[in-house]
Amino acid sequence: MASPEPQPRFGQSVKGLLSEKVSACSGDVIALTRQVLKGSRSQELLGQAARNMVMQEDTILHSEDSLRKMAIITTHLQYQQEAIQKNVEHSKNLQDQLKHLLK
Amino acid sequence: MSARDRDRETTSMETSINNSSAGQALGPNSATDTAIFGQIRGSDPGTDADLYMPVPKKPGTHNESGVETAEEAVEPAEPDINELCRDMFDKMAVFLQGELTATCEDYKLVENMNKLTSLKYMEMKDISINISRNLKDLNQKYAGLQPYLDQISQVEEQVTALEQAAYKLDTYSKKLEAKFKKLEKR
Repeated sequence: MASPEPQPRFGQSVKGLLSEKVSACSGDVIALTRQVLKGSRSQELLGQAARNMVMQEDTILHSEDSLRKMAIITTHLQYQQEAIQKNVEHSKNLQDQLKHLLK
Repeated sequence: MSARDRDRETTSMETSINNSSAGQALGPNSATDTAIFGQIRGSDPGTDADLYMPVPKKPGTHNESGVETAEEAVEPAEPDINELCRDMFDKMAVFLQGELTATCEDYKLVENMNKLTSLKYMEMKDISINISRNLKDLNQKYAGLQPYLDQISQVEEQVTALEQAAYKLDTYSKKLEAKFKKLEKR
């Protein structure tokens, strides 16, 4: 009687070896995917970009608020300019009267 | 049948194969093979035997020499092994898709934030353009008001001169009044 051939793993069946190989391959694929994602550093960069955006948001809102106030002030200046325009048109008569007085 | 029994039977099957390969030729008339694999077509023409039909036999039988032999009860081939494989690959694909989708969602988030910020900046740009146009018009109108402002300055100077003349007249009239009263007393 010949001795049995040495097996790679004692007492393990072919089916067990096959299932181990399949699970090892699937684990390798998963590890490879995660390594690719980690190597791209996309999480770090995107996180940093989001943080910078959040920090700038307050400044942007303040700038927008200031611009809106400036627009309102400009409108008020326009109203004042129209009122001044109306009133300075009377100054010519005033000047003629004063000239006559001072003669 | 439990996994332990299956492993034992597989080991025994391999042992019997090794035994057969050592000194015996594998043939249809091999008692061991027949025991393992069941009836083989052609060996008993009188029987209705399928080719290598696995026949589960009672394990642990004793032959006449008293040596215990284990007989393999081969498991029937799983009919849905393809389905299981397909299921495994589908789930693997879903898992990998999920891993990649997380990064895609991060990119979409940053993209949306950028779009909103660009919209905000466009609004601010429109407001700034309006302010700039209005201020240019205002500057032009104020430039058109400049002659009037010069006239107002002249009016102010003339009014100041008139005021000085009025003060002089007032002083002269008071002197004149005092002289008149003096002359009246005489």
